[in-house]
Amino acid sequence: MKNTLRVLRAARGWSQAELADALGVSRQTVNAIETSRYDPSLPLAFRIAEVFGQRIDEIFDPRPPAPNGHRGPP
Amino acid sequence: MHEQDVVPARRWLRGFACELTEQDRRNAGVFTRWSVLWSLGLVASTFALDGGWVPAGAPAVVVALAPNVFGLFALRAFMRFLRETDELQRKIHLEALAAGFGGGVIFMWGYRLLERAGAPQLDTSDGLLAMILVWAAGLWVGMRRYA
Repeated sequence: MKNTLRVLRAARGWSQAELADALGVSRQTVNAIETSRYDPSLPLAFRIAEVFGQRIDEIFDPRPPAPNGHRGPP
Repeated sequence: MHEQDVVPARRWLRGFACELTEQDRRNAGVFTRWSVLWSLGLVASTFALDGGWVPAGAPAVVVALAPNVFGLFALRAFMRFLRETDELQRKIHLEALAAGFGGGVIFMWGYRLLERAGAPQLDTSDGLLAMILVWAAGLWVGMRRYA
């Protein structure tokens, strides 16, 4: 699942380790989510949204990108 | 050992490297300590029984069963580690355990047929060894997949 976690984290000047501490998970988990190798559970997704002050659907996008690189209508 | 020998070894070990939280490290440490005690107990019991140091009957049974107490504590510690760990670590460990269990069962049942076909007879612990090796391989694959 695509997400903007890395962008949000970088905007705040946080390291992966610092974000991991804030979320109560390992740095490996943060990295796996950022690289879309792992989708977080719902409780973790809510914690991520709370940490960044955004809604879950503003951070995570379940839609696959269209062949031309653009996303379809919401 | 030359540097070019050390670097490939470190790359291989990276597959086992997992960045645990402080709580996970504590829980893993508890599990490791009980596992070491369990292993030492098994070795001591084996020497005591094989060396004839223990009278036959009830004393021998007690000596044979005693290491299992450490094993139960190790099991409890591992269950606590699984319950309290990071969700990705839990996924990796559960998948590795499933692979180890399945691999061990396939090996043990499969080898039974090979024995009927003339293969050398194996000990029960050989099946357990297969289970542990597949579990370790599963852990390594899981850690690398999400590294």
